[in-house]
Amino acid sequence: MADIKNEVLYRVYGVLALIVLLAMVLFGKVVKIQIAEGDKWRRQGDKKVKFEKVIAERGNIYSEDGKLLATSLPFFEIRFDLNSSAMSEKDFNENVDSLAYCLATFVDNIYELTPGGYRQLLIDQRAAGERYMLIKKNVTYTELEKIEKFPLFNLGQYRGGFIVRRESKRDPPFKMLAHRTIGYVREGANKVGLEGFFDEDLGGTAGKKLMQKVGNDIWIPVNDLTEIEPENGQDLVTTINVELQETAQTALVRALNFHDADHGCAVIMEVKTGAIRAIANVGKTEKGTLWETYNHAVGDAVEPGSTFKLAPMMALLDKGAISLGDSINLEEGRTTFYEEIMEDSSPHGLEKTTVRRAFELSSNVGIAKMVEGTYGNEGGAIEFINQLRKYNLHLPTGIQIEGEASPFIKEAYNKEMEWSGITLPWMSIGYEVLITPLQLLTFYNAVANDGQMMRPYLVSEIQDFGVTTRKYKPTVIKKSIAKPETIAQAKSLLEGVVKRGTARKLDTDRYNFAGKTGTAQIDYRKFNRQRTNLKHRASFVGYFPAEDPVYSCIVMVTNPRQNGIYGADVAGPVFREIADKCYATRIEMHRPINSYAKPKLVNYELPAMEIGKKESVNYLLDYFKLPHQNRAATDWTVIQAERDTVVMLPRDLSDSVIPNVKGMTLMDAVYVLENLGLNVIASGVGKVHHQSILAGTKARNQTIKIRLN
Amino acid sequence: MELGTKLYTKLKGDHAIWMIVIVLALFSVLIVYSSTGHIAFKERGGNTEFYLMKHLIFIVGGLVLTFACYQMHYTRFLRISPLLLLFSIPLLVYTIAFGTDVNQARRWIELPFIEMTFQTSDFAKLALIIYVARAISSKQEYIKDFKSGFLPIVMPIIIICGLIAPADLSTAMLLFFTCLLMMIMGRVALRDISWLVLMGVATFGFLIALGTQYPDMIRVTTWVNRMNEFLDNTDGGYQIQQAKIAIADGGLFGLGPGNSIQRNFLPAPYSDFIFAIIIEEYGLIGAFTVIAMYVLLFFRIVRIITNSPKAFGAMLVLGLGLIICIQALANIAVSVHLVPVTGLTLPMISMGGTSIIFSSIAFGMILSVSRYIEKI
Repeated sequence: MADIKNEVLYRVYGVLALIVLLAMVLFGKVVKIQIAEGDKWRRQGDKKVKFEKVIAERGNIYSEDGKLLATSLPFFEIRFDLNSSAMSEKDFNENVDSLAYCLATFVDNIYELTPGGYRQLLIDQRAAGERYMLIKKNVTYTELEKIEKFPLFNLGQYRGGFIVRRESKRDPPFKMLAHRTIGYVREGANKVGLEGFFDEDLGGTAGKKLMQKVGNDIWIPVNDLTEIEPENGQDLVTTINVELQETAQTALVRALNFHDADHGCAVIMEVKTGAIRAIANVGKTEKGTLWETYNHAVGDAVEPGSTFKLAPMMALLDKGAISLGDSINLEEGRTTFYEEIMEDSSPHGLEKTTVRRAFELSSNVGIAKMVEGTYGNEGGAIEFINQLRKYNLHLPTGIQIEGEASPFIKEAYNKEMEWSGITLPWMSIGYEVLITPLQLLTFYNAVANDGQMMRPYLVSEIQDFGVTTRKYKPTVIKKSIAKPETIAQAKSLLEGVVKRGTARKLDTDRYNFAGKTGTAQIDYRKFNRQRTNLKHRASFVGYFPAEDPVYSCIVMVTNPRQNGIYGADVAGPVFREIADKCYATRIEMHRPINSYAKPKLVNYELPAMEIGKKESVNYLLDYFKLPHQNRAATDWTVIQAERDTVVMLPRDLSDSVIPNVKGMTLMDAVYVLENLGLNVIASGVGKVHHQSILAGTKARNQTIKIRLN
Repeated sequence: MELGTKLYTKLKGDHAIWMIVIVLALFSVLIVYSSTGHIAFKERGGNTEFYLMKHLIFIVGGLVLTFACYQMHYTRFLRISPLLLLFSIPLLVYTIAFGTDVNQARRWIELPFIEMTFQTSDFAKLALIIYVARAISSKQEYIKDFKSGFLPIVMPIIIICGLIAPADLSTAMLLFFTCLLMMIMGRVALRDISWLVLMGVATFGFLIALGTQYPDMIRVTTWVNRMNEFLDNTDGGYQIQQAKIAIADGGLFGLGPGNSIQRNFLPAPYSDFIFAIIIEEYGLIGAFTVIAMYVLLFFRIVRIITNSPKAFGAMLVLGLGLIICIQALANIAVSVHLVPVTGLTLPMISMGGTSIIFSSIAFGMILSVSRYIEKI
């Protein structure tokens, strides 16, 4: 036994010696790397590798109704690392022929080479030590999927030398629509619009990728392992309604062309919430074409002119200094304050009239005289300015967009702000103050909303893959900006402007709206000195329908040169076009026909044989308050008059059999038939009167002709 | 200090080995916490404590296992060893067939319910060593005989190593070499040992041939590439270069705990290349300490063998000591670019649940042997 044990022990000592020796060798190697090679490695550690940002995919911007306003299209740049350390000689030699063939044939190759030529190029480049050869730029995703399957490339970055760099291009599908409001973020430029304001949410968190230097300023990704994945950006759901935005833009473009104006803007706000439904800005580019060049509605604080008069008017009413029936002398539209002449912009020749009439005619003399009369005494201006502040006219709205300009209301008697004797009267008619169209609209919106001032907002939600992560609810800036009686009087004044005043030519029978015109002079100081051409800014701000306002809207057009200069002629028609469109498309704005007591003994015919979707038919019958009975268990229904009720009967549309579409509208008929895979040829107008294939026939992608009468 | 002295007098077994376990575990926690920063940002949104906590749980659990094994009499391992070995064969086959791929190597299986992966080769490694130790010691009388001495020892070695090799050649080679050394020291006839070597080479050749048919199963390409990289490039590939930068940056005293820079650039700084990070943060002093720990371990093992009255105990500590030391030295050799890149971890230091757990068990068994020798 002892012998055996000793034999074992000697061998164990031998192994121990080996281990000690090996440990010494290893330690020696560590020392060698530290001392003999130390400088070399430390130098390499300084600059051979770096982390590069991997830009996260930017979130989308959606309209209120879910349409894409801005999205990112990915595209790729493909490079070829011909000397990747993991690429074997064998892999390269075996695949170079077919790779060259694929590159020359299936990719529109930037070298414009034949397969043979491409092959030679690849071989030469490999011999030359190339590690970053450009294959193609601006590759789409579909193309990338094809290219990454090419021989050799399909072995991946390491063994195949296949390098993909991802970039993305921001694309607004609607092009010019709300372009400035959507905005952009570009390197070296100020951030603009929603893209700018919500840059952090949209941008996500950049990832990190380890890059290795392989040549003069050439960096290639080291591997995929140490990469920190970027976190994709979140999506914005805006309050913009594409249809209204389009209406506003189209009307604005037409007006700008017609009046040969410099630029203009139109904003539509929802009265109850402050949600901005449309914000159009159109200006002339250097080439003379029209485009969204600047967000005038938000970024331009200007002298508003007559549209401002509502504020002093309400101040006077709130104070109780005047009442609408008081009489006032307009001095035929011309007076002087401290030797400065003030004139009304259009001649009316009136002397004695009422306060209401003075406002409806937008008399500068009238408003200025009332304000000067009430606040012109010692210290009175302080009260006046405080009143304007009560209406929040001195503060920005805080809308979620980059670059909102601040309004400017002078401090009373502040000489540094160039307060002078004529400041008060001129301020009362909208000069010597600066305000943006959006801020002015917010004020008018508050009047329409019975005195409650809402903060305008453009983004209602932030979503992460369809899940809401943040919600922006309507917010109230001020519960009540003035006494209820003042608000009511202000509303009646604005309605009067449309019914009898400066905007009477815009009036319509179909619905009532209220608003105020404005025609501000630009450069009037220069004009007074040099008698140059006087420039104007025409505007209209108001709300509709007057009884129960749904939308408020401001339109401002700068420097119209032809076909009129006045607010009612230039901006008013744009306002009307927008209001018309809203009225036509929003059923809730219409006065219900039967909202009053039911007229008795009226001879009317109940509708019959109408076909439609059950819910739509039901909605309409409810809406028109027609007595009805629902007997349909199907999705579609046909209605029949039975004595004094309308009965909804089932209409079964099966999946495979051509239905009877007689009596349907064209839209419904086409919807039903094309869903069955049929090809529809329609003629005539009205409802379907005749169908070429009998009901009950099996649907087999036939062509069906329908005639309408 | 009271607790320390109390513990010291209460704890039986080789105190030096206890100290080695504690020192290695301490190093482990420090280095893993420092080097998981990057992966924490990558996988856990910057929650660096996640990996620390996970690792701490394994270290503490491992120490508990060490203690448990130390409490058991080592002959109990002897009795269950054939069972463990039998169990490890289907386990390895299952891994090859249904295992989880991590970095294109199929070495893990998913454990049901607890959502953790388990490296089956670690289990098989331990089972085989206990079995070989038992076989050599129990057949000591007729060890030179071919049929009864050679076959029952060699066949399991070839089967287990052959099953580990496709996805993890380095572990298979390490295990094979350890068993070979155990046999040499266990006085198995030289003729038989050459047979084993021959069969090992034949199996390896067979695997390579098979690898050309099933490249997904057997990582022949990776082996060839790593070999080529090692032979072609005197500076080493990217990983090696980064490791060397870490080593060079370390200097004598290192950059200090948690100050590693290269952890951001080295792939898997918490396992394969943890030694480079140790040098970067703790300098030559740290490198010396760690290497010394493993060498000291083997010194103590030789002492146990010298004192051991029983052949099985001696063979068991020898096998366990060998595999820990050789694996440690191999891991270090990779970091300093003496051998091609392997996937071997630094025992008791590298992050990785299975590695820690089985290293702890191995230490526990060694301590158990040392303890019952003292008793005699």
